[in-house]
Amino acid sequence: MDAKDKVLDKYSAKVYKNRKAHILEVGQAPEEQEIAANTRSIPGIMTNRGCCYAGCKGVVIGPLKDTLTIVHGPIGCSYYAWGTRRNKARADEGSFTQYCFSTDLQETDIVFGGEKKLRQAIKEGLELFKPRALMICSTCPVGLIGDDIHAVASETEAEYGIPCIAFSCEGYKGVSQSAGHHIANNGIMRKVIGTGDKIPRVKHSVNLLGEYNIGGDGWETERLLKRVGYDVIAVLTGDGSYEDLTKADRAELNLVQCHRSINYIAEMMKTKFGTDWVKVNFIGIDASIQSLRDVAEYFGDEELKKRTEEVIEDELAEIAEERDYYREKLTGKTAALYVGGSRSHHYQYLLKDFGVKTVLAGHEFAHRDDYEGRRVIPDIKEDADSKNIESITVEPDKERYEDKYTEAEREKLRKVIPLEDYKGIIPDMEAGGVVVDDLNHYETEAFLAELKPDIFLSGVKDKYILQKSGAVSRQLHSYDYSGPYAGFRGAINFARDIAMGIYAPAWKYVTPPWKTEPVLQAAFVNDTPEPETADAADAPKESEVTNA
Amino acid sequence: MKNFVNLNVNPCKMCMPMGSITAFYGVSKCMTILHGSQGCATYIRRHMATHFNEPIDVASSSLTEEGAVFGGEKNLIKGLDNLIKLYDPEVIGISTTCLAETIGEDTEGIVARYREARPDLRARIVTVQSAGYAGTQFEGFFRTLRALVEQTEQDATPNGRVNIVTGQISPADTRWLKGFVAAHGIDAIFLPDLSENLDGGHAEVYERLPSGGTPIADVAKMAGARATVELCTFYDEAYSPGAFLNNHFGVPLFRAALPTSLKDVDALAGILVGLGGRQNAAPTTNAKSNVGAACSRPPDAVNRARLRRLDAMVDSHKQNAQARAAVFGEPDFVYATCRLLVENGAMPVVAATGSVCPDFREKLAEVIAEVQGFHLGENPFIADDCDFTQIETAALEQRANVLIGSSDGRRISEKTGIPLVRCAFPIHDHVGGQRVRTLGYEGGLMLLDQVTNAVISGVETTFREELKGRYYHPSDSDHDASSASKVLSFSGQARESSKPRETALQAGDPVKGHPCFCGCEGARAARIHLPVAAGCNIQCGYCVRKYDCVNESRPGVTSGVLTPEAALARYLAARETIENLNVVGIAGPGDALASPAATLETLRLVREADKDVLFCLSTNGLALPEHIDALAALGLTHLTVTVNAVDPKIGARIYQHVDYRGMRLEGEAGAAALLANKFAGLARAKALGMQIKVNTVLLPGVNDAHVPEIMRAVKETGCVLSNIMPMIPVEGSALAHLGKADLAEVDRLRALCEADLPQMRHCAHCRADAAGPLGHDVPLPSALAEGKAS
Repeated sequence: MDAKDKVLDKYSAKVYKNRKAHILEVGQAPEEQEIAANTRSIPGIMTNRGCCYAGCKGVVIGPLKDTLTIVHGPIGCSYYAWGTRRNKARADEGSFTQYCFSTDLQETDIVFGGEKKLRQAIKEGLELFKPRALMICSTCPVGLIGDDIHAVASETEAEYGIPCIAFSCEGYKGVSQSAGHHIANNGIMRKVIGTGDKIPRVKHSVNLLGEYNIGGDGWETERLLKRVGYDVIAVLTGDGSYEDLTKADRAELNLVQCHRSINYIAEMMKTKFGTDWVKVNFIGIDASIQSLRDVAEYFGDEELKKRTEEVIEDELAEIAEERDYYREKLTGKTAALYVGGSRSHHYQYLLKDFGVKTVLAGHEFAHRDDYEGRRVIPDIKEDADSKNIESITVEPDKERYEDKYTEAEREKLRKVIPLEDYKGIIPDMEAGGVVVDDLNHYETEAFLAELKPDIFLSGVKDKYILQKSGAVSRQLHSYDYSGPYAGFRGAINFARDIAMGIYAPAWKYVTPPWKTEPVLQAAFVNDTPEPETADAADAPKESEVTNA
Repeated sequence: MKNFVNLNVNPCKMCMPMGSITAFYGVSKCMTILHGSQGCATYIRRHMATHFNEPIDVASSSLTEEGAVFGGEKNLIKGLDNLIKLYDPEVIGISTTCLAETIGEDTEGIVARYREARPDLRARIVTVQSAGYAGTQFEGFFRTLRALVEQTEQDATPNGRVNIVTGQISPADTRWLKGFVAAHGIDAIFLPDLSENLDGGHAEVYERLPSGGTPIADVAKMAGARATVELCTFYDEAYSPGAFLNNHFGVPLFRAALPTSLKDVDALAGILVGLGGRQNAAPTTNAKSNVGAACSRPPDAVNRARLRRLDAMVDSHKQNAQARAAVFGEPDFVYATCRLLVENGAMPVVAATGSVCPDFREKLAEVIAEVQGFHLGENPFIADDCDFTQIETAALEQRANVLIGSSDGRRISEKTGIPLVRCAFPIHDHVGGQRVRTLGYEGGLMLLDQVTNAVISGVETTFREELKGRYYHPSDSDHDASSASKVLSFSGQARESSKPRETALQAGDPVKGHPCFCGCEGARAARIHLPVAAGCNIQCGYCVRKYDCVNESRPGVTSGVLTPEAALARYLAARETIENLNVVGIAGPGDALASPAATLETLRLVREADKDVLFCLSTNGLALPEHIDALAALGLTHLTVTVNAVDPKIGARIYQHVDYRGMRLEGEAGAAALLANKFAGLARAKALGMQIKVNTVLLPGVNDAHVPEIMRAVKETGCVLSNIMPMIPVEGSALAHLGKADLAEVDRLRALCEADLPQMRHCAHCRADAAGPLGHDVPLPSALAEGKAS
């Protein structure tokens, strides 16, 4: 029985059947390389997934720093999303990311409706904070009692002359955070991108999509891009702003870091504004090099390519010594990864840079295309849950649509760079590696026991189980207050953090001496029971020696 | 303070399911399933794991849109089946969420049917109605305890044990409490017992089903106990386990506050001694026995701990009396902590809870009254249903010097510099939440020591600066260098100093005067702008206000808005580094008089600390008539008013709107109101003898031809200096298209108007937080930039 079967063995027949489809071993027969994904979690099995609201407010909308986001609902939803993700933001131009705004609905509001309270809350919020824009995110009870947040948003725009967008991201929608990403993407696309001044497109300008600036990753990535000579127009949405988003259509190219959470916008911007996108990955040294080269290739500018190589060489020289040192420390270790949409893929590159092999990769809320590549998108069947999430279609914008290349030129580019393509995680994994969709609490424990990875990178919910089992854990949602991990310098930060975990002195004390070695024990001559004292421990020489 | 009844900004509370799950963690071999959307379970697991540094396992019925519409029974049943199959728990807690309660799930009915369909069901299922909108974690916690007792078949056979019911206390405090009760020779049933499950040891084999905590078999014996001791102050009879046991089984009920303060530990010891467990060994000679008869005294070790506590209280009473604490969190925590503070002479200046708690105010007022007896004239802020915005405002108003509560107070601490003692759930930014000690003679003292030390550090790092700022006047030694005794003088009885100020003012002294008014380029006199006024009451067409106001030339820009206290600190610090700092000005970043409270309070504080410094203020004049007398009373001598038009028709092209007394006036109406107020204010300023400067922003094509008329009009008001400034076009402003006025044109106008009014030609377009001589701004150290208000 292989690891997969052993883990599944404990399940009841029904659950077995369901979960079997979500787990695959890389390198088996091609027909078995299809994975079930983006379907409902099984009740009662502790999934690590969050809700639609978490994906919309928590992930995509939350980091916009010039935007006041009011959570319309009971206090908990707003409280739990307050500073939960470490998306850092510079506060020099003011930032609302430190704040938490809620309508704090009470029982009476649930009975009589909460719209009035929402209107009043908006008024109070605008009076006090004067944001660039206002967002309203709804929660489970709001959807059920039927408050029309979209009407309130329109009224707000009319009355206060401020952009206001409502997101119906009730927690019960969809099957995971992923639904919330989609809803947020739709709102941003519909009402924000392309509403700024129509300045001419800036040469060599890009947007960074799906970079949430956890631990400063976005800043490090931006630093690299700017060093080469790119203009970064907007980042979606780490340290991002509404203001920047309005101008995002003015960039020449979209760089997609987290495919899962933002591919909708990348696709729609392609249709509406003609903006091409490439999949990039700035997690990992070799990955960063490849991404920088791909972007330069897209622009096709020889000087840019030359500059890219100079930057790569310089960045590599800077980290050379540390890179060798940590590689030596970490080579031969194994790792398991369980994160949200894309990190379980991206971090495999970073681990590989230091000689660490990934034995398990799990996604919380990925779709089949994140595992198997975008080629499977036409085959993905819509189910009742995905149909409930609105999919919007956009038309080319007559004023703002611009093609940089002809279709023939793009076709040529596709052969050399991941233009409008993402191949998914499976092709990058070694044979025998396990891929799990919606890895749950029980499976985490079971795979840990079976695969015994040295390092398990996931989140705070599993962190303490992993540590109790002796695995080195690192939270890839928050980086345990460390970071950045992106780019060249970030890779060294990551390696240092992992080495520090593996070589932590605490592990040496896990097994007490009396369990492994012959221990000197003191026998007291008289009968008086005495407490354990330093004397007892210090006086073994006169005492009998026993094997404990 | 504005009471934001509809918008909760930075909540000081969580929701019921959070408390419910925590309570279930105090029961042995129990798993909880949240009936609702799976995000609730995920969020709560994440928050609890971060605080306790332990795995937190909470299942969910994972309702989707289908469940929300057609009911969640199917999902809940599946969830229970899977939970049992994988974990085989002895107890299953089902806590409902907003979703389940809003769609009106009959959870008890579902469970009844479930039991019926599975006669071999071993697990005891306990259901709790815990909609997030119906209360906070505090209520969720007690509802769950009550449900546990009520829904467990009770065996009322007397068993000689004592029930101890607590709120959410830390695992470390629970361990202490268990030891304390045992030391009194009492065999107790703890509900809940968080000691192990939320603070376990390092075990190689992870125990998936937490076995610590109170066995459900013990919960079933609570009706047979000889007494219940409930450590809870703000109980609700309907959700009190003790009340249930008392009403249905006649178990005597004792209530006490959380034993943090000496008197509350004493009270608990008194109850335990009264309940008379095993009698303790030989009495000590110095033990004070004031509880009960001589035969029932607390055990020896307890007595010794008490004496140590008392010794420490005497040792640190001087520092403690300086503490001005803002305490926030769950009602019982705030109550117990305030009792600790007052018995140590510390002043709880803010006592706040996020829960709705009707008798909170009254009970806390009673507690704090004890210490008000020897702190003069204190009027503490006590409130329930508070958010952190209110707590922050209150802490600043009350001049708190220490914050006590959860780590959610860190944002206030970062912003205001008031230190935070983290001692309540949740603690997310530090480690050790599970080991926090606040209970017992030692635990209460550990908390007290942290508070004391926070106060000591505060004094230690600031007192030299503060004393110097308050008592040392360099000019003393300038005037009389030979007399060392005169170096220190109390500002309250300071030397008569209005004379030099007047002289400087009239002479336009380049060193001692106002750098704008003295009219000398290269003047050595310096000024500091304190950016305390955030808001603005008009919209000028050349100004884009996002967070900062770029009102009037390029003033308005600041790196942060300060509170009056922080502004004072900045001034005092700047005075040490900047020579000839003669002037304190308020120039925004909004309009100085659109936030009159902040402006006046800042000037008051600065005046308290420095009797001599000149005051100046820059305003659009809209609110001038209302405040000019108050400003004069504080000693304001220099006033700058912006006058861009004296004709409402032209004004209407400049001002998009004017917000006056709750009305938004547009067009000519707005411009006219603004104009009328400007001139009324200017007239009063002249009568009060102020030095008046008028700024005029030159807007090409709008008011350039109008400038000479403005000059004539303002001259009549007593204006002594005019400053014509070219508009700085700001992207996105209504008048940005005008472009910047040509400098030659500015010069031409200045020369033309010179006949009417002296012209200022050394304007440096100061920022709202500038400091130093004009054009030579001194960068203040970053530490001085602390205390930003936004």
